[in-house]
Amino acid sequence: MHKPTISRKIFVVCNTLLLTAITLLGIIPFIHLLSVSLSSNTAAMAGEVKLWPVGFNFDAYRYLGEKVEFFRSLGVSVERVVLGTAVNMFLCFITAFPLSKSVEQFKFRTLYVWFFAVTMFFGGGLIPTYIIVKNTGLIDSIWALILPGALNVWNMVLMLNFFRSIPKELDEAATIDGAGHWRVLWRIYLPISLPSIATIGLFTIVGHWNAWFDGILYLNSPDKYPLQTYLSTLIMSINSQMTSISIEQIKAMENLSEKTLQTAQIFMGALPIMIVYPFLQKYFVKGMTVGSVKE
Amino acid sequence: MRTLKKEYLLHIMLFPGVIFTLIYAYGPMAGLVMAFQQFEPLSGFFHSKFVGFDNFKYVFNMPDFKQVLWNTIVIAVIKMVLFLVVPLILALLLNEVTKRWFSRFIQSAVFLPFFLSWTVLGGVIIELFSLSGPVNGLITSMGLKPIMFMLDNEWFRGIVIGSDVWKGMGYNMIVMLAAITGINATLYEAAEVDGAGKWKQMLNITLPGMAPILILLAVLSLGGILNAGFEQILIMYNPTVYEGADIIDTFVYRLGMFSQQFGPAAAVGLFKSAISLVLVSVTYYAAYKYNNYRIF
Amino acid sequence: MKLIKPWKMILIATMTVSVLSACSSPGKESAGSSQTTATEENKSSTPPEPLGKYPETVTVSEVLGYNPPEDPRTPKGITPEQNAYLKDLKEMMNIEVKYKWTVPSSQFEQKFALAMASADLPDIMELNQKDFEKLRKQGMLADLTQAYNDYASPELKKYMESDGGFAMKTFSEDGKLLAMPAFEDPFLSTQLLWLRKDWLDNLKLQPPQSMDDLDKVAEAFAKNDPDQNGKNDTYGVALQKNLFFWGYDLRGFFNGFGAYPSIGDNQSAWIKDSGGKLIPGLVQPEVKTALGKLQSWYKDGILDKEFALKDENKAVEDITSGKVGIVYGEWWYPNYPLNLNVDKDPKAEWIPIQIPGLDGSGKSLVPKIRSGKVFAVNKNMKNPEAAIKMLNYYIEVGKKKYMDQNKAENGYVYNWFNPRIYNPAQIDTIFTEVNKALDAKQEEITLDDENYKNVADVFKAAKDYLSGNTSNASKGVNWGQYFSRAAKDGGWGVTRKIKESGAFVNNEFYGLPTETQVEKGAQLDKLMQESFTKIIMGASLDEFDKFVQSWKSLGGDQITQEVNDWYSKEAAK
Repeated sequence: MHKPTISRKIFVVCNTLLLTAITLLGIIPFIHLLSVSLSSNTAAMAGEVKLWPVGFNFDAYRYLGEKVEFFRSLGVSVERVVLGTAVNMFLCFITAFPLSKSVEQFKFRTLYVWFFAVTMFFGGGLIPTYIIVKNTGLIDSIWALILPGALNVWNMVLMLNFFRSIPKELDEAATIDGAGHWRVLWRIYLPISLPSIATIGLFTIVGHWNAWFDGILYLNSPDKYPLQTYLSTLIMSINSQMTSISIEQIKAMENLSEKTLQTAQIFMGALPIMIVYPFLQKYFVKGMTVGSVKE
Repeated sequence: MRTLKKEYLLHIMLFPGVIFTLIYAYGPMAGLVMAFQQFEPLSGFFHSKFVGFDNFKYVFNMPDFKQVLWNTIVIAVIKMVLFLVVPLILALLLNEVTKRWFSRFIQSAVFLPFFLSWTVLGGVIIELFSLSGPVNGLITSMGLKPIMFMLDNEWFRGIVIGSDVWKGMGYNMIVMLAAITGINATLYEAAEVDGAGKWKQMLNITLPGMAPILILLAVLSLGGILNAGFEQILIMYNPTVYEGADIIDTFVYRLGMFSQQFGPAAAVGLFKSAISLVLVSVTYYAAYKYNNYRIF
Repeated sequence: MKLIKPWKMILIATMTVSVLSACSSPGKESAGSSQTTATEENKSSTPPEPLGKYPETVTVSEVLGYNPPEDPRTPKGITPEQNAYLKDLKEMMNIEVKYKWTVPSSQFEQKFALAMASADLPDIMELNQKDFEKLRKQGMLADLTQAYNDYASPELKKYMESDGGFAMKTFSEDGKLLAMPAFEDPFLSTQLLWLRKDWLDNLKLQPPQSMDDLDKVAEAFAKNDPDQNGKNDTYGVALQKNLFFWGYDLRGFFNGFGAYPSIGDNQSAWIKDSGGKLIPGLVQPEVKTALGKLQSWYKDGILDKEFALKDENKAVEDITSGKVGIVYGEWWYPNYPLNLNVDKDPKAEWIPIQIPGLDGSGKSLVPKIRSGKVFAVNKNMKNPEAAIKMLNYYIEVGKKKYMDQNKAENGYVYNWFNPRIYNPAQIDTIFTEVNKALDAKQEEITLDDENYKNVADVFKAAKDYLSGNTSNASKGVNWGQYFSRAAKDGGWGVTRKIKESGAFVNNEFYGLPTETQVEKGAQLDKLMQESFTKIIMGASLDEFDKFVQSWKSLGGDQITQEVNDWYSKEAAK
């Protein structure tokens, strides 16, 4: 090992400072949310809470503990993430693998690739998609949130590129040993692609966790909603498409004032997924992929 | 014969993906016909009147359309570039961090804003840059005049771009970090032996090693050239900055709000899709032709 | 980076919009889902009875957009299917409600659009005006004339005909009644000026009678430390970025200048000129004068320097936190957000006054009809009268005899029951009855008809507020109920006086958007927002003349023509 030079030391200090600053920027909104959720409701409604609670109390979390809807939808979200990620990742592997072959190895790959790529740019829109989902009998089932997006083309293309960085010799060696494509994929490609799988797995999990709009579209009663769909209905705004507010809507507006409870739910809604990430990070180990296998 | 059999297996592996894509991505594309229709609610695609390119003409002839198109391209292009450069720099800097816990902690923190919607973040950012906000507090404490950031076209654009990059940079950063981990570690050892410094190693090993992913990200981001961030701008803008921040999507949104015009909205969508596809395929084939490299 | 699919934009655009449709052609839809075993003979043999029980169960399909239950005592986790009103409906009338879907109300429009698109409509539908119009044009709605005449209860008939049948006529076609409009007293839209009375007292000022007075009060509120906290932290008049909206906007201010630009939601208002024609209020010279005043207010710090980036939530924050003490709005402000301020600051006291005008008080704009939604029936439904009977039912259960049973804690969630129509004179009944009981120092209201529930609720809040009882709700919430609906000098009390004194101007256009409005509306609105905001923030007043020119040439003249055509042909006069 070389001794670190002076310039290297300066760099390390600056680097640490810069990255710390960026870290703070990322955390601040969450501190703000947490503070609002721990403040008194009137202070929250008056916009007085910044980075420290005003009128500190745990009421919001106490109410949250009794919120059947919150926990019910949390359960749906977990189910969705598990099922959805399994389906997505499986399809991603088996689609990306053939397409990572060169044209010489797989004549039709480019045709297929474009067949998939086009869908990244073109889509039919909300209503035609709804009609298809309905006609395939998925409405009001959790599969409506999973199957229409079963193959995420963007992730698949990413996976394909990671696969391509695997040295060809490895593939060829295995083929000579008589291993079929299926075996090559599962026994050779996947084990050495853990960092990329962790990356794409993370995006898939986050994608399923954050998606809310499809829940509104395809599910027929709110007790089936995943968490983010449920949360989106909390941030209720008065429909702006109106010129007069009916007496009933005025009554409903009083519910708008539960700001601390809303904030507590938004905060708690982001928490589980924040925990998943550090867990996946353990697969981001440098050099464990190609180098180690080559030896 | 053996290879043919092997290719046949590859086709089978692709089959499920093809089926899902056919049904759920190509199926709904039939709906694109409404770009050419005077879409009548409840009449459906089969009974609405076809009007040829009237919807396109209607939108392109709107007096503000040029301005809006220009705004869209300016904002989207700057975002596109920053979404590559900023995460790249971050990933490279993170790569130099030796303490693993610190590196992990930063990665998580950078990725955090990604979990919050613009509905939640928009208000926070407006607050941050308002006259009574902390940024102006800092400015006045230095004896300078406060600035109405959000009511000034140039500042507003800057804030829109900056905050979007801040919110989304974690995503590409993670892809890039994954690309770095894929680089053969023995290369670094060899370089070390040759006496190459960290800077040289980065230039000669890390960057070239990341090249395929960087190119992929760059090319795919071209597809977003007309997406300047609809939800964000809708939540953050105001009439004083329409001039510099009204983009195609907000423009179409307002058309829809007022008058439920499906045809024009679909026409704009189709226009955007077509532009994206053309840009991406041109770069794809250019890379193939001049470098014999297939981006995907 | 996330790659946003281009179609996502269409998707988002369609979110606000309503409908497209699948390939279903109207009328061919498979027979509606109202399954009934009651045969025709069965029906004709029994004389129509508004609250009668069907011999055999009639199943009615509905869809529901709902808000959370208002009463905190409602059982936790209850779903609309479990609403106890439905159970009672089944018992009382043998009508069973099946929800095709339920959705939080903010997403209803979206979800209903999909239902229309996929030709999957329920039997009984709650519609906004635009969707009603679409379904009417396609001939999808049942004729309710017969059902209404035969089955409507006397109370329902009284409500529907309380405006001389004007609202029903608006939703009829060729004499056929196609929907039951839920309408309210148009004077609920009257603009008032809400002020912090405690601030006036602190500064020894009187409530403003005219615009000049208001000018002085607003300036004092901005500069003379009205909250006496020793800090220069207040401004004059609340405002958010949408100049014409549903609240915290400028409709009332403009009305004070005899200017009638908008009915809110950025929609133009149309007033009658001396020649009996309709003219657009937006481009009249009075608007320019009003803008001039706003400009000087902005310069003097009476308006927030950054009003242009505030949305309604920010405006509410300023009111709640006591940064501002003047706001234009309707009778209901004590319900929200003034109650928040009252809860936050025990000294806060708000009063409403008639809007100040150039000489003395001004005249507010009032719509001809105030109807947000209508109830219609799918023409494939076999028992359209069931809809009328359900309306009867909901009115019936407002009576006192049901009150002990129908409590929130027993799972009765009134705002989850559809269809429901209220007494259009509800608010005035509440005002009269509550005051009667308060004046006579009664412990109970005397009323015992179908208005009982609504009146009793307000009476209870009024009692609680006046006796300082906060065990049921906070002071602000009780005050909000009382001061908006019952107090003689409160929201409705003052509105009532305005109604009686005739100090208002009517918006004459209540038809659907005309062809040119549809085509150019968004553009004209952007033009207006941009130029008005710029003028207020200091651009030359002459910009207004330029705006008028562009507005007219970009489609405004055309719209004026179309609106007048509508007026001469279709307005129900």
